[in-house]
Amino acid sequence: MNKNRRDFLVQGLATTSLVSFGAAAPNFLQQAALAAEDGKTQRVLLVVQLSGGNDGLNTVVPYKQPIYRQARPTLAVPAADVLSISDELGLHPALGGLNDLLDDNQLAIIQGVGYPNPNRSHFESMDIWHSCQRKTEVREQGWLGRYLEASLPAAEGAMPGLHLGREKQPLALRSRRVQVPSVQSLDQFRLLTGGQDSSGKSLESLASRKPESRDDLLDFVADSTRSAVAASRQLAEAARGKASGVTYPETALASKLQVVASLIDSPLMTRIFYVTLDGFDTHARQQGAHASLLGQLNGAMAAFASDLRARDQADRVLTLCFSEFGRRLKENASEGTDHGAAAPLLLIGPAVRAGLHGELPSLEDLDQGDLKYHTDFRSVYSTVLENWLQSKSRPVLGADFQPLPLLDV
Amino acid sequence: MDIGRLDPDWAWAAYQPSADVPWDRRAAAHLYRRAGFAATPAQLNAAIKLDPLQLIRQLVNGRSEDQDFLQLMQAMVDSMIATGNAGNLAPAWLYRMAETEDQVREKVTLFWHGHFATGAEKVEDPVLMQAQNDMLRSHALGSFRSMVQGISRDAAMLVYLDSVSNRKTHPNENYARELMELFCLGEGQYTETDIRELARCFTGWEIKNRQFRFNRYQHDFGSKTILGATEEFSGEQAIDLVLSQPAAAEFLVTKMVRFFLFDEPRAPRPLIEPLIKQLRDDDFQLAGTIERMLSSNIFFSPLARARKIRSPVELVVGLLRCLEISTDMNALAEDIRDIGQGLYYPPNVKGWDGGRSWINSSTLLGRANLVFRLLENEKTRFATQSLQQHLQDMGVDKLESAAEWLAEHLLAVPLSEQRRAALIETASASKGPRLERLLHSMTALPEFQLS
Repeated sequence: MNKNRRDFLVQGLATTSLVSFGAAAPNFLQQAALAAEDGKTQRVLLVVQLSGGNDGLNTVVPYKQPIYRQARPTLAVPAADVLSISDELGLHPALGGLNDLLDDNQLAIIQGVGYPNPNRSHFESMDIWHSCQRKTEVREQGWLGRYLEASLPAAEGAMPGLHLGREKQPLALRSRRVQVPSVQSLDQFRLLTGGQDSSGKSLESLASRKPESRDDLLDFVADSTRSAVAASRQLAEAARGKASGVTYPETALASKLQVVASLIDSPLMTRIFYVTLDGFDTHARQQGAHASLLGQLNGAMAAFASDLRARDQADRVLTLCFSEFGRRLKENASEGTDHGAAAPLLLIGPAVRAGLHGELPSLEDLDQGDLKYHTDFRSVYSTVLENWLQSKSRPVLGADFQPLPLLDV
Repeated sequence: MDIGRLDPDWAWAAYQPSADVPWDRRAAAHLYRRAGFAATPAQLNAAIKLDPLQLIRQLVNGRSEDQDFLQLMQAMVDSMIATGNAGNLAPAWLYRMAETEDQVREKVTLFWHGHFATGAEKVEDPVLMQAQNDMLRSHALGSFRSMVQGISRDAAMLVYLDSVSNRKTHPNENYARELMELFCLGEGQYTETDIRELARCFTGWEIKNRQFRFNRYQHDFGSKTILGATEEFSGEQAIDLVLSQPAAAEFLVTKMVRFFLFDEPRAPRPLIEPLIKQLRDDDFQLAGTIERMLSSNIFFSPLARARKIRSPVELVVGLLRCLEISTDMNALAEDIRDIGQGLYYPPNVKGWDGGRSWINSSTLLGRANLVFRLLENEKTRFATQSLQQHLQDMGVDKLESAAEWLAEHLLAVPLSEQRRAALIETASASKGPRLERLLHSMTALPEFQLS
């Protein structure tokens, strides 16, 4: 980021926050319009988290390997059904839209992603992915939270990141200074007041006022309240933008991505969007459930890509899609799979170097029945931070990880 | 007060009222908010005339639900079950929390629901979900050991963690893992091999006609090596083995201290040593340890006052009790779920993380909006009357005195003079009914989120 732009950003943010908190607030729209040009040139990262441990082997399928079929008598995807992407590998049949994106040079599949001494607890492994720290360290911040804190000036209400969803806020977005709002749905995201506009305003400002006490817990709630009120005003303005006409499937994930696309195409300067799709913990009767989940992912991502193209915003957006771990090679007795380790990770967008990256880990040389990783997820983060978000990765990741040649930017 | 330097013996010694820490309405309100879901004004009046330690003993050990109440609850639950939809169970439980005299047991039952989290979105059957709820209530203040045995045979849990399909040939690790990670020991206290071996002990634990059934043909009777011990462990024996680990009591005490005393910081091990010892000496009987926590010096100290973020259920049921509200429980249950604590629908097997994780932009606005809708709902009554009439009965008739009365009953943090003035100003400026606006505004304050 060059110096002028940075200065402009600092100013823009500072004014925005004044606008949000001043007692006699001038029109936010005016400020938004000022920031519009800047907001619409920034690069954006969307994270799609597949919660529960996505079965990587049935996502990017080694359909020609006999050992895969032997290990999965009921769950192996038939060779005739896979969407072949190389001599050895094919995508699950539910991923037709992603296959199209691959053909269109917009999908990179990084194989064998994981980390040393894999932990097979959902919660522990997810925390590792979110914080890049192990349990023995103090884990209060996430990697994206640290990025936002390092790259943006302290400016409440500027909404540098946004989490859409009902689940609790991902640790990845947490930091000491930057408050990232979590929004369930835009409709519900406003303070009901019943009275006229003036009583609404005064309730908002009352709730936003800092309490006099000096308690960290109370400070936290007060900061969060202030940022909630500010974010609700900003989103109400931003959401008035036009629709693109692209039709999304009727799934929760697709609805979220539809909102993300419209916010990307608004004056908001949000750089990080975070959504999750839950249900990948397929210990029993995996086949139908997993196909349905992949179908949801596929439909939502395909519509999102078209929408961004229609809005002429596609070049600004990179999507990272991950899960806390893959699943065991051998299926269990419940026609399901248990917690595993290494798995493929997806990067999506016009900026990616499309295709397969890295080898499929061996199906014979296993770690307690699970695939061994060869690419540390933090190298992928490092690539995203350095090459996409143009930010130093070391302070965020806590160590040096060499960026990988995954992007053409 | 520095938690790291606190003398553990002093911390858990019985609280004696003093000039510094008087036994007054504020202290009694704190006790009732934590031990249960909050006191009614009449309970506060009665409480301060009693010896606090006797009161706490009574709260923990006394049983006051009479036959009429139990019949009413049964009828309510039956009618909810008859709908076939587990989503309808929550209003009945909320009603019980708000109305039962056995506040501590109900609060602890909620704790266990979060601990042995089982989600109706997977279990679906309301009969199984309610049976689990009843089981947790019956053990809530009894033996943790019996509760773990109970939950391991609980039909809802067996469905939720796939133990139903845990067969000899291919053990399913799901339940075994969570038994150690989330229910008894905590992450890192076992190996992956321990999990695989433990899973073998639960093979053949099935359900038939909504009841637990041991299928000997699917059970692996062979020798297993778990946590360093090798034997032909049965599931029951394996649970005893897990609970005999040193980590078990510490794991449970740490979680209970966070639930009853303070969200932050994590209690240092030396501080909770006396409780760990007590729980072990009591062979995991819970009542004694819980009574000791609630009657301790540290419980009434600044380290525990207003040091918890109210959960959605605590926030709502507390409001109902403080203001003796009756309302549309169905609407309320739905709103509570929207702000992050759907009863019978915990987010995952880890339950609710609690503390700061309750709070984000959506849930904060959602909390204020929930109270707004509650006040707008035409079914809402305050001790069968309007808010104005009810406050008049409490001796409150002006906006100023209403602000004072509400703050005393609803807030764990004293309200500053400026804050009160701003509240009154907002309420006066409002077009709608002023007392309702005042109450709503107060619940939108950051202070209201703390317990």
